[in-house]
Amino acid sequence: MPPPATTGRAPGPPDGGWGWAVVFGAFISIGFAYAFPKGLAIFFKEIQDFFGTSYSEIAWVSSIMLATTYGAGPISSVLVNRYGSRPVVIFGGLLCGIGMVSAASCTSILQLYICVGFITGFGLALNLQPSVIIIGKYFLKRRPIANGLAMAGSPVMLCTLAPLNQFLFDNFGWRGSFLILGAILLNCCVAGALFRPIGPATASVKSQMAEEGKSALKEVTEDAMEMNSPTNVPMGNKTEDEGGKDCCEKINQYLDFSLFKHRGFLIYLIGNVLMFLGFFAPIVFLAPYAKHIGIDEYSAAFLLSILAIVDMIARPTTGIIANSKWVRPRIQYFFSFSIAFNGTCHLLCPLASGYTGLVVYSIFFGLAFGMVCAMLFETLMDLVGAARFTSAVGLVTIAECCTILLGPPIGGTLIDTFGDYKYMFIKCGAVMVLAGTFLFIMNYYNYRMLAKEEKERKVKEDPKQDPVRTENEGRNNWNKETAQDGPELEPLRQEQEGLKKEVNGTNEV
Amino acid sequence: MPAAFSGKRLRLLLCLSLSFSLSGGSPAERMMATQTVNQQTHGSPSDHLTLGHNISTPGPDLATKVFKQASGGNVSDVTFVEYEVLLPGVSGTSVEKNITLDHGTRIELSCRLDNKYSHLKSLQVTWKRGNETVRHINKTETSWSIQLRISDNSKLGSYSCTLKGEEEISATFHLQVPKIEGKEKPIISYEGDTAIMICKSFGYTPIAWTWYMTNGSEQIAINDTLLANKYVIHRISANVTHMKILKLTKEDSGVYWCEAAFELGKSKGKLKLKVLSLMVPLKPFLAIVAEVVILVTIIFLYEIYSKKKEKSAEAEKEFDQVEQLNSEESNGLENSSARHRKI
Repeated sequence: MPPPATTGRAPGPPDGGWGWAVVFGAFISIGFAYAFPKGLAIFFKEIQDFFGTSYSEIAWVSSIMLATTYGAGPISSVLVNRYGSRPVVIFGGLLCGIGMVSAASCTSILQLYICVGFITGFGLALNLQPSVIIIGKYFLKRRPIANGLAMAGSPVMLCTLAPLNQFLFDNFGWRGSFLILGAILLNCCVAGALFRPIGPATASVKSQMAEEGKSALKEVTEDAMEMNSPTNVPMGNKTEDEGGKDCCEKINQYLDFSLFKHRGFLIYLIGNVLMFLGFFAPIVFLAPYAKHIGIDEYSAAFLLSILAIVDMIARPTTGIIANSKWVRPRIQYFFSFSIAFNGTCHLLCPLASGYTGLVVYSIFFGLAFGMVCAMLFETLMDLVGAARFTSAVGLVTIAECCTILLGPPIGGTLIDTFGDYKYMFIKCGAVMVLAGTFLFIMNYYNYRMLAKEEKERKVKEDPKQDPVRTENEGRNNWNKETAQDGPELEPLRQEQEGLKKEVNGTNEV
Repeated sequence: MPAAFSGKRLRLLLCLSLSFSLSGGSPAERMMATQTVNQQTHGSPSDHLTLGHNISTPGPDLATKVFKQASGGNVSDVTFVEYEVLLPGVSGTSVEKNITLDHGTRIELSCRLDNKYSHLKSLQVTWKRGNETVRHINKTETSWSIQLRISDNSKLGSYSCTLKGEEEISATFHLQVPKIEGKEKPIISYEGDTAIMICKSFGYTPIAWTWYMTNGSEQIAINDTLLANKYVIHRISANVTHMKILKLTKEDSGVYWCEAAFELGKSKGKLKLKVLSLMVPLKPFLAIVAEVVILVTIIFLYEIYSKKKEKSAEAEKEFDQVEQLNSEESNGLENSSARHRKI
């Protein structure tokens, strides 16, 4: 007997409701992941004196932490593919807590590298990727806003952690502070608890219709080329594993290496790897540059505060702009524009004279930085679709890891060789303008190719009207970035009608 | 975000960003006199002197001793280091200058009246150190100086020149040994742990370092050879000294002094040590862990509750629909039977 139509439709992303709780959880998780390594810098002087090491040896702690957070991306992706976001984030939170608590009882700098660098860094990696991934699962129409809000966690957490760390240090010394910071990092587990699992056919849908739908989907997924998101079909998961796959497809199940054949992914990868060469160096050297041209310490530090505050506001705002119906279809262009804008700011920085000039530069830099960060993952989701995003984000972060770590030291070498900061700014600006232009041109080409393929596909399929195929392709091709109701949800609606027809057919018999 | 709140945050941020700008936190202005033959020094911004013409900004290396000087206070040196102060015409604003000396030198302190005040006549000039008058030299019509040979601590102090005319104008030179800075904030450590205290001298190399701990109101020197398993004192470099206190106990809390001995005297820096028990950070730690556990439990319970609600709501819907279909079927049957009958 036909149950009502509402349970029959495989649910699309909720775009609201519990999704906002997930955004809040992601806000906290992402905030810790990005802000924590920077916030630790307050303790470095004391630790340096305690262990009697040089400054560069202490700075390694931060670098190892950052490297592990980005480098462990693929591992994170594999775990999320296998277990879903929630267990991974909770485990990551526990790991961070354990890392910092054990760091509190360290007796050598090497132990600090391991506890703070590796263990806590790995825990933060297990926080960062799943948070970004689950936003893609919960949002579609309002995904840019959700992304912008979640990424705003980073500057907010930094502004909170900095005074907090100073307070803890003044009252508890560095050991006590590490202990308490370990407890604070456990709050990532709370964020993880908010990440309720969700997928196109969730376990909660128990009606007959859903079961029939699931069996239909099972057949579909067994026929599909790549099984890359088993979490989408939690019920029928295990049967796919047993289906006698050859080695490549099995690896692809965990980490989708076939993404390297995906045109959009490659464009994004190359553009971003290039961009990160010049992304972080200006922040690292802004305060030293200000002092170099004669500004006092307080005002130099204030520049960074201005940057953080503008960043905080810019991220959600960019999310809202990116969600508007004019920008969303062309979001890749908007992203390339913001990268190029960022680069232009750096190129113009050497022209800034005096404190007012630098304040203006900081404001524009904060704005550009926030714009790029807010759309960093949104554009990747847009290109590869939420299904393959899990693996994509892992592969992208490990590739970016190298350039992120190289950026500031290269900038530092330029400064040391030429004795002048302007070459570093010129290098960063040039690299970013180049990256922006590259992304712009390649995405233009990509959009045209996609439009062509779309036309070809429509011509082929119109006569057939196969609901199952369209549903499958629809899922695999969320890189049609038109977010309006019509085109994006069309495949889902077609599937709903198709399944309805099947059911009605059986009933009529 | 209300403006007031963001203002507070800004200030906090400011203080914070300052502390994690890792430029080494060099302490503020000590009066470093770059000693050059013949002239003028200073230009340290916090110096509230009225300076003469050549204002040289202090270079990054603080110990610029441009002219040659025999060390050890060799008297046969004829060259003097000059320190000059320009007097303001207006009385009431007293001018002061701090001069740091770490070893014996010959110096010349001079007070000069600006040319625009040269109309002031009948000026009586006296140089004093405390109550004692020092004989001075009239260098020119408008400048007067005294020459001193500083060979030991007794010669240091404050020397002032006074011009008595219609109004009284004066300036004071303070001759001091270099200051040592300790730490204003207490060093926090834990029982059983090791604490490291560091004292630095900027620009001047002390002859020896001594550490003292405070017992009540007394200062007791720390002998690290005697208590080698408790205190370890290292002179890391010429200007830096470290003291490690091992196996801390609560009694080790208190004030410590590091004393640098220079040729012309001694100078002390103050450091505070606080030894806490391990229970102190443990309380906030456990409080936060409890908060995390409670929040996670609440979230999971809420999820189970809302799933149950969903299930029961769906069961109700199905039940309603089954009833509806049954009634439809029965209506249908009636209709068909009615049709049959009609036919």
